[in-house]
Amino acid sequence: MRGIGYRVNAGARLTSAALAVGIALGAVSIARGPASATTYAGRSPLATALTVIAGLGLVVAGLTKAGARPSARGRGWRVVAAGILSFAPTYVAWAGGPPLVRSIAAALTGVTFALVLDLVLRHPTGRAPSRARSAAIAAVYAETGIAALLLALVRNPYLDPSCWANCSVNSFLVSSHPALVRTVDFADLWFVAVAAAGLLGWCATRIARGSAPARRNLVPVLAPAAVIAAGVIARAVALQASPVEDPFDQTLFTSFVIESLALTALAAGLLYLSARDRSAHRAVARVVTTLDEAPEPGSLESALADALHDPELRIAYRVSDPDGYVDPRGWPVDPGAPASSMTITRLARGADTLGLITHRGAVPDLDLQFGAALRLGLENERLQAQVLAQLNELRASRQRIVEAGDRERRMLERDLHDGAQQYLLALSYELRLAAGTARAADDGKTEAILSAAIDDAELALAELRDLATGIYPAVLADAGLTPALRSLADEAPVAVEVHTERSRRYGSSVEATAYFAVAEAIDDAVDRGATAVTVTVGDDDHRLMLALADDGTARTAPPDRIADRVGALGGELACTPGECRLSIPCA
Amino acid sequence: MLTREGIARVLRDAGVEVVGEAGDAPTLLRAVRLTKPDAVIVDIRMPPTHTDEGLVAAQTIRAEHPDVGVLILSQYVEPHYALELLQSHPERVGYLLKERIFDVALLIDALRRLADGETIIDPTIVSRLVQRRRQSDPLAELTPREREVIELVAEGLSNRAIAARLFVTDRTVEAHVKQIFAKLDLQADTDSHRRVLAVLAYLRAT
Repeated sequence: MRGIGYRVNAGARLTSAALAVGIALGAVSIARGPASATTYAGRSPLATALTVIAGLGLVVAGLTKAGARPSARGRGWRVVAAGILSFAPTYVAWAGGPPLVRSIAAALTGVTFALVLDLVLRHPTGRAPSRARSAAIAAVYAETGIAALLLALVRNPYLDPSCWANCSVNSFLVSSHPALVRTVDFADLWFVAVAAAGLLGWCATRIARGSAPARRNLVPVLAPAAVIAAGVIARAVALQASPVEDPFDQTLFTSFVIESLALTALAAGLLYLSARDRSAHRAVARVVTTLDEAPEPGSLESALADALHDPELRIAYRVSDPDGYVDPRGWPVDPGAPASSMTITRLARGADTLGLITHRGAVPDLDLQFGAALRLGLENERLQAQVLAQLNELRASRQRIVEAGDRERRMLERDLHDGAQQYLLALSYELRLAAGTARAADDGKTEAILSAAIDDAELALAELRDLATGIYPAVLADAGLTPALRSLADEAPVAVEVHTERSRRYGSSVEATAYFAVAEAIDDAVDRGATAVTVTVGDDDHRLMLALADDGTARTAPPDRIADRVGALGGELACTPGECRLSIPCA
Repeated sequence: MLTREGIARVLRDAGVEVVGEAGDAPTLLRAVRLTKPDAVIVDIRMPPTHTDEGLVAAQTIRAEHPDVGVLILSQYVEPHYALELLQSHPERVGYLLKERIFDVALLIDALRRLADGETIIDPTIVSRLVQRRRQSDPLAELTPREREVIELVAEGLSNRAIAARLFVTDRTVEAHVKQIFAKLDLQADTDSHRRVLAVLAYLRAT
């Protein structure tokens, strides 16, 4: 594990393991010997086994965690402590054992629950939890400490009517106060029960509200914790009814069995999560090796997603132009507020943010797992995303320019019809009136002049109409591409055949681009002496396809004007000397 | 509007009774229901969007009032609109370019033909379709006289009107039409007004 950025204290782990095994063996001999009638563990060989498995299980899980990431180390040691302290009740009942050991064991009996609560409320990140949860954790530690201290100082086991496992020794006794002991016992019992109820509720809510991926992180720890809490509550209720903690009481023994099993399950859950984290770390470390020499945009993202089994993982790169975050393909994204089940890991170089990874949080401190090669890969992809973002901007701007041009054309066409044409029509009408008047007055000369003027006005109207249609054919907007292309064919100076599979509407800029491409192609064909042009229109769900063929002389230059328009919409144009094929993305 | 007032004046001067004027489609439809005119003249562009309101209003009138003729005035030499109109209601409809309206004789003739149940398609549209460049032109098979006849058929004239226009007998026109339809392999009923649609669609498609 060396070289990933943290050090493992192998000596401390080994010592703890030896200590835990020693304590467990001691607990077995006590439970099977002097305490066989006074402890749960001593009630049967199976109960002893349950106690040992739960305690050592927690120690193993804790040591595994303590050997993992730095952020998890503190929690790891706490789990080790919880495991070792779970043997305390057995040592309390060590009849004939050193009084000091029994007294210390008695004082430490409640600490396991406090440690479990601490562990669970910090799950899964391990970081400082919310203020309310921090306060809850602190309160439980404080209460446990105060109660243990008070009882140590004032509990005289000889005078305790409800004593069972230890009715003889208390090395710390200063003065006996049986009444105070009863009060503290009662208060401690119910404080812990209330804390357990809170823990149970919190676990249930977290599991119920969590998304499916979040639950995979929560259930292995929170479900056993909820059962432990339920066992604590059951024990409190039972002790309220009969204050003597007799292991042969069926209710109390059942709650002991359930708690032990749940502690074992908690240890198993922690081990499972550690193992999963570790395999995720190895997978992250391997990500770089899966990348090609020139990776496609987004391949790092998908490689990481694969490695972490997290299909929702997204990388947002910080770019400066346009200012903001973009995905690996250069499209703007807002990584602002992720879903509650997702975590954001910031990738930084010094004070600069390179990007944000939104992921399920299966791997806490994801960025610390990234080796130099992976960081280089991320840097590379970020630069690529920056370039792609600029390219996307440029494309969008080109498209906006073309669309603005089309809008202008349409407005111009309408203005011609609604303005100039109306006045020409009025003029034509007035001229006819005047001609009628001249005819009535038998003024042949004036009538002839006016007739000529009427003809000119009609010519002007026809010219205006052609001009308006050339600017933007109304039928294109009204009825779509196919009728507009047919009209183009009607007016063309060469034979134009239009083949369409079906007549459907595309976006207005797609239709306009296709229309003007065809118009341009017909003009071009005429220039090259063609007598016939064939236009074939087709489409699939995503692209409009046009094939433009003619019998003119070979094309010497590519049709730039068509290429510009088609390119502005993200389309493609491919020309051979006799034919052009273009495809335009359409919705 | 300039043009509407002009048309109303021209029609009144020519002795046509103008029973109503409307500035938009809903007003127009109300007026038609109320006054039951012989014919309605509709601008293809109407408020509010100035796109296809006129065409839609024309089709509504034709659907609701089979006896009321509808003449569409358009600024577009555009067979698509004319075909659209004919396809839904082939009778008593007309499509004329706006500048025709001040040719009083032509306008009165058009209104009369509508009242007679005929169809009217602007000659400019027909001649554009007939003169279209074609790679293998089936119209080349036709004699000059037959070309004249097919254009008049496409304009919506009845055999009798064509005969009068060409100074020949009805029977001669009938023979020409039969010949044309045979040459072009058109299956339409030669006596029906649907032949206008058939001929226009044929000219557009080939």
